[in-house]
Amino acid sequence: MTDTATRATRVVATPGGRSRHNGGGPRAGTIAAFLIPFFLPFVLFYLVPIAYAIWQSFLVVRRTGGQYGTSYTTFGGFEQYVQVFQNTEFWNSIGRIGLFGIVQVPVMLFIALIIALLLDTPLLKLKAFFRIAAFMPYAVPGVIAAIMWSFLYSPQLSPLVDLLKAIGLQPDFLGPGAVLWSAANVSTWLWTGYNMLIMFSALQAIPQELYEAAKLDGASNWAIAWRIKVPIIAPSIILTTVFSIIGTLQLYAEPAVLRQISSNISSTFTPNMLAYAVASGNNYQQAAAISVVIAVITFVLSFGFMRLTSKRAGL
Amino acid sequence: MSNTVTRIRIAGVVIAAAASTAGLAACSSPAPSSGSAAAAPAAACEPAKGNVTLQYWNTVPGMDQVVALWNQKNPNIQVEMKNISTDQYGTIGNALKAGKAPELAQVGYDQLPSLRTQDAFVDASACADAVAAKSKFVPWTWSQSSFGDTGVFAFPQDTGPMALFVRSDIFKKHNLEIPKTWDEYAADAQKLHDADPNLSITFFDPNNAEFFNGLLWQNNAKMYGYSGDKWHVTVESDQSKQVAEYWQKLIDAKLVRTDLAHGSTPMYAAYQKNQIASYVGAAWGYSMFRDNLPDQSGKWSIVPMPTWGSSAASGDWGGSTVAFMKGNTHLYESVKFNSWLNTDPEALALENKLGGLYPAATAGLELPALSEGVPYYGNEKIFDVFAESSKNIDTSFAWGPTQKTVNLALQDALAKAAAGDGKLADALSAAQASALKSMQDLAIPAVAGN
Repeated sequence: MTDTATRATRVVATPGGRSRHNGGGPRAGTIAAFLIPFFLPFVLFYLVPIAYAIWQSFLVVRRTGGQYGTSYTTFGGFEQYVQVFQNTEFWNSIGRIGLFGIVQVPVMLFIALIIALLLDTPLLKLKAFFRIAAFMPYAVPGVIAAIMWSFLYSPQLSPLVDLLKAIGLQPDFLGPGAVLWSAANVSTWLWTGYNMLIMFSALQAIPQELYEAAKLDGASNWAIAWRIKVPIIAPSIILTTVFSIIGTLQLYAEPAVLRQISSNISSTFTPNMLAYAVASGNNYQQAAAISVVIAVITFVLSFGFMRLTSKRAGL
Repeated sequence: MSNTVTRIRIAGVVIAAAASTAGLAACSSPAPSSGSAAAAPAAACEPAKGNVTLQYWNTVPGMDQVVALWNQKNPNIQVEMKNISTDQYGTIGNALKAGKAPELAQVGYDQLPSLRTQDAFVDASACADAVAAKSKFVPWTWSQSSFGDTGVFAFPQDTGPMALFVRSDIFKKHNLEIPKTWDEYAADAQKLHDADPNLSITFFDPNNAEFFNGLLWQNNAKMYGYSGDKWHVTVESDQSKQVAEYWQKLIDAKLVRTDLAHGSTPMYAAYQKNQIASYVGAAWGYSMFRDNLPDQSGKWSIVPMPTWGSSAASGDWGGSTVAFMKGNTHLYESVKFNSWLNTDPEALALENKLGGLYPAATAGLELPALSEGVPYYGNEKIFDVFAESSKNIDTSFAWGPTQKTVNLALQDALAKAAAGDGKLADALSAAQASALKSMQDLAIPAVAGN
């Protein structure tokens, strides 16, 4: 079965590869004309800031005497990094989003997968409508979504809270124990549709003959979904997981907005918020070091996950 | 293989080169560029030959209209303003780092020392008008913006003398006296809560260090001093602990709410639903209730803030200056505009009306608009209360050079305490530790204690 699945992916993959044929000599001018619009912004707005951040992270502030003195920066080696590793707030924030990610990412991707599979069944009517409906939250900017949800969480303003109170519950969405999951809920609401669409596109690419063959063999819709569709779109699921791991480590907007109405989100709630707080305290060099460490952790986790799963899945 | 070796070597050379240039930069930079400590040369205050356009960044609502008035009267000195209220100090800090600071920017008193340690200002004392302006401002505001010295780095703009905003109808309904001391305030809090469990005397926003600092200021809690080439950090003191323990008791007894963020929609909703009977606030807050709760007009009253003992003492919450920023090459014109903006009766009246600013200029305190009754507050002369409060502010209070970091640490710890994880007094030790650590990080010599 897995064999079929793998082969099917390969079949799907080929048409994309074929268009590479470009004839013989490369026309440097043409290639440059096509590449420069990409590479120039890539270098300016991606590589240069990264290099600048790395450079900043190796500097330390020194000062000439006096009450206010004059500060200057000088090379400090790994001094800023030592501080990052000694910073308990940093590790707390990493632990917090680790917990967030372990729960939120599987829940979100599972829901996305279910919706994608439902949209892919021939049984469902009004497909276009449901597809748009599921994708719609992604069109809402993250900050706006967080503001909207913060209204739904606020005991003062929320019809949701009133409703739950009417049936005898005492929800405290912004309490110390719940606020992390309230933020997770906003992320899930925002990103499920996006992940669903990636999985759904992969499902659309599966040739119908496979299903016909499976049906002839007596497979139920259930079996087709779990034994054929899910294994075939495994690369998409892995891709969305990697995106989600990266997204989790970059978490900022949702908790930062909820912080406006809940005192249970500290200024160091997520690593990105910590970096921002440090930068706003004029310690740009320390903030740069924190950012670099976050980037390295993100890189290690996402690529580590990709290598691990692709080996397992034999892709 | 050899390819890799070469690459490593190149990388090594690059790093070494980078390190050495950094070293060079380090050696060369401190000496010349620092204009902040020494007075600027007299030539720095020459009027410009032609027309000048000044950049002015601020966060005050309605300031565009004030600037428009200036521009209309002064065709030779045009001012372009930008509202930076979304991330005031982030915007200023980034501009400084990029060497693109505006000529003038609004800076809160509490952030002046921290920007000064970043060499953010120019000294305008080369301009005679700038030095002479001293006599026009409430003394403590001038002292804070000149760092108690002869330099002129900013003109005071507004202050936030504190007072108690009272829902007199609720107090009357429950037969309560207006509290004069914090003890009476706590007693009233208990009575209100006993009478109606859904009613609280006020809320304590653990995410608002500025408010808490104002309370500390009232109790003569001096948090920073400078002597013997070192900053002395006393954020954790007997005076500050007294304030922390007082509010801790109110929180423990559930007499004050801790679930409302200052200025948030839920906060206004709670006031709207008559769940809260008073507000410990500052002068600029007068327009907040007026603009956000128009249907409570006539129900509010403003009285002096409760005191710790029998003698009058007040705190300040907020307030700003307009600073002369680094790179300003039009000091003459900047001083002219800055004085007009902050001492001219017409400008001050407009800023008070549109932006709710309570002037730092002594002339401002005598503005006709500030001696009249305010309709929203039952035509009470509320600015008399603030003027009195302003006189009772401890003028020797000083802010630290890493106030923003300390405020964040204080807020995080206050919030933990409010959620039942620790005490407010612990927040003071957290803030004390954060002050020492953040100063160390920025190479500012500091020790704990006096």
